Amino acid sequence: MAAENVIEMLHITKRFPGIIANDDITLQLRQGEIHALLGENGAGKSTLMSVLFGLYQPEAGVIKKNGQEVKINNPNDATALGIGMVHQHFKLIDVFTVLDNIILGAETTKAGFLQKREARAKVEALSERYGLKVDLDAKVEDITVGMQQRVEILKMLYRDNEILIFDEPTAVLTPQEIDELMATMKEFAKEGKSILFISHKLNEIMEVSDRVTVLRKGKYIGTVDTKDTDKQSLSDMMVGRSVQLEVQKGPAKPGEAVLSLRGFCVPSRAHKRNAVNLVSFDVRAGEILCIAGIDGNGQTELVHGLTGLEKSSGGTVTLCGEDISHASIRHRGGNMSYIPEDRHKHGLVLDFTLEQNMVLQRFKEKQFQTKGFVNKGAVREYAQRLIEQYDVRSGQGPVTVARSMSGGNQQKAIIARELDREKPLVVAVQPTRGLDVGAIEYIHSRLVAERDKGRAVLLVSLELDEVMNLSDRILVMYEGEIVGEFDPKQTDVQELGLYMAGAKRMEKGGHSA
Amino acid sequence: MKEKWSALMQKDGAKTVVASLLSILIGLLVGCVIVLVVGLTNPGMGAAAAWDGIRLVLGGILSTGRDAVGNLTFGFNPTNVGNMLFRATPLILTGLSVAVAFKTGLFNIGAPGQYLMGTAATLVVALSIPSTVVPAPVVWLLAFLSGILAGAAWGAIPGLVKALLNINEVLACIMTNWIAANLVTWIFDGSNWRNLEENGKTGYIYKTAHNGVETAKWGLDTIFPSSQVNWGIIIAAVMAVAVYILITKTTLGYELVSCGSNRHAARYAGINDRRNIVLSMAIAGGLAGAAASLYFLSGNTEFAWSTYQFLPPVGFNGIPVALLAASNPIAIIFTGCFMSMLNIAGQQLTNLTGYNEYITDVIIAAIVYLSAFSLVIKMMLDGQKKHKTSVPAAADSAPVPGGKAEKGGEDA
Repeated sequence: MAAENVIEMLHITKRFPGIIANDDITLQLRQGEIHALLGENGAGKSTLMSVLFGLYQPEAGVIKKNGQEVKINNPNDATALGIGMVHQHFKLIDVFTVLDNIILGAETTKAGFLQKREARAKVEALSERYGLKVDLDAKVEDITVGMQQRVEILKMLYRDNEILIFDEPTAVLTPQEIDELMATMKEFAKEGKSILFISHKLNEIMEVSDRVTVLRKGKYIGTVDTKDTDKQSLSDMMVGRSVQLEVQKGPAKPGEAVLSLRGFCVPSRAHKRNAVNLVSFDVRAGEILCIAGIDGNGQTELVHGLTGLEKSSGGTVTLCGEDISHASIRHRGGNMSYIPEDRHKHGLVLDFTLEQNMVLQRFKEKQFQTKGFVNKGAVREYAQRLIEQYDVRSGQGPVTVARSMSGGNQQKAIIARELDREKPLVVAVQPTRGLDVGAIEYIHSRLVAERDKGRAVLLVSLELDEVMNLSDRILVMYEGEIVGEFDPKQTDVQELGLYMAGAKRMEKGGHSA
Repeated sequence: MKEKWSALMQKDGAKTVVASLLSILIGLLVGCVIVLVVGLTNPGMGAAAAWDGIRLVLGGILSTGRDAVGNLTFGFNPTNVGNMLFRATPLILTGLSVAVAFKTGLFNIGAPGQYLMGTAATLVVALSIPSTVVPAPVVWLLAFLSGILAGAAWGAIPGLVKALLNINEVLACIMTNWIAANLVTWIFDGSNWRNLEENGKTGYIYKTAHNGVETAKWGLDTIFPSSQVNWGIIIAAVMAVAVYILITKTTLGYELVSCGSNRHAARYAGINDRRNIVLSMAIAGGLAGAAASLYFLSGNTEFAWSTYQFLPPVGFNGIPVALLAASNPIAIIFTGCFMSMLNIAGQQLTNLTGYNEYITDVIIAAIVYLSAFSLVIKMMLDGQKKHKTSVPAAADSAPVPGGKAEKGGEDA
């Protein structure tokens, strides 16, 4: 049995100041298998892979290749052993061509001169063989994210790597691209390459992997055969308790339109066209309307235009019957809660304490100030109430500095602050990004509760699972325009994907609401 | 006891104080080494002179001269202490000026320019309203207020430029410094305020005492005889307390600091970030202007009006004063006094030993420079703590060693 293990990581322990990131973890990768590595944020997946790739040195444990103990001191050692990695954030040089990026660091040279023709032939052959279509002469900055990922994969193949690590490869892809990637991975495995696939998306793991190793809080939980398990038991292993994967919600009872956009335009900072172009829709009381789309199709600008962070260049915004197209941010905040996309940039003042963050919009209200002096007692009492009500966990309660809190609790703090303001419209952008399953479960149930209180919820999300699960109505945004409206019960991820990628669009489709 | 100590050391404030004290200590030690090296390598000085020098660097404030045999004597020297307090007055205020800006996320390197504009406004008002017509205390008050206003207006310019055009305030501050230097020279060049009475003093403006305007001493002259100290130091201390209250207790301070810590989050919360940038630069400028007012309203100080090639060092010295105090307004009262104490020590060194004023300046500069390292030392103290105890939220930051923990959210 041991012989077929191509890579063995035995009893790996890696500490960082104040924490054990990997505590006695064992991972065995067989020849020709797709092995998924599953765990929540902070479970130690990336650390373990960084150890394998030579970026960190473990304090204890050994790595074996084909039964032989090896020492991997840096990524060059890893490459020499045939280990390649596609990082979550691509390591490409934007202004170089695709070909230059692929051969970078492994150039064929003759007397100090590049032999690009040979390299090109080899890359073309690889691209042909695996159906990895790329334009070798395009600059990386001009190609799509999906193609950039294919460039990364070709980089590994060009170096004749036999062990391929994919770190969260699907986060940036459309459903169609994900399907293609899965097929490519299976193709690799069939040829005898071994694949380590890091993910926290259970669907993908179930679909593509042969075995799954689960980590939790730096500890090894177990390795199971995919065919003997299911999503529920995997997620229980990952979280350590039973989790509700599906959002529990009754049917929506939509009422009057709370927010109406008509011909709304927001200029782009990057180019001359409008980032949001002539968008019209309504969000009604008691429904969750979801804007789906691939990152960078105008969702951020739409929300910034809506909240007043960015000036709109046309159209009208009506909130609770009042035209707020040109109102100030503070004025709009009077009827709108906003859970921002970037919680560190827009959500929190990280150097402030939790209680100071809790009153970021409200410190001027009568209850929190007396003649220009902050009413500390009232602020603390209020923060204390929110902390209890929303289960925000922190080291020192109201006086904890926000920076020292975990991402999930920072997000809970923002949600507590925003929802407690009890405004008729809740705008939530990527509210669960980077959070673990437990926190996601909580946030989803809160948003549903808001809906059931009769508030209008506008959700912007890049996660199709979230879109399908949570929304009562879906709008797909592509290149700044709404290209389709769907009922989540009557559509599927595949159909949404076609619209998200711009392959299909509804003409003046049903957003009359 | 040990437990109590380590519990105290966990507190951020305690660490800041320890870091500042350590950096002062290091600065003084390096100063002593320079004294030693200069003393030993200089013919005609030697070890005894170097020892005298070291004693004066460390205890110059308590120096009472030399006795009959020529040995240095030490004891309480009220004149020195009084002068220390007098010279600390503008340092405290420029320190506050820099600190207010720091607290609100801005770097006010424009304090010298604001100080010059404050000087000009103060002197023009104090000298042009005859105290025979308007009572001198009223003239004093008007002069003080116009100094503050001029500084505030000058500080608001880089603030406006940053808020409206998003131009870095450091650049704008440096530009406005030199504009102020030339503008002030132009104001006084050929004016009637140049001191023509005292021979050979045409480079200076009349002291405000010429018009009978000077800051009251009210008893301080009996405590610290033959020193220049006046109630300016009390006013500076009161202003420090006022700034402390503004920053920590008021909604305005909350608003200013939130803009400084995270302009984006503040803006999104409906706070007018542009207004606050201008406002905090104006407050900073006003404090630098007040520094100038209190210094020149003493009645004994002269202003060399030909400033076009020269920026007042007291403006820049506000930066180490603020750094050493970690921008805490109350601590600035003490760090301001410390800086002026070094000044007095340097003066004693020049007067009582063979060290000339230039080498004295080098030593003082070394101490000031190293004192500003308190931030580095604090970071080292922080690092030490992280090794010892575990951080509750560390699970999220595990894969990212070093200071980038907060970005670790998306790493698995």
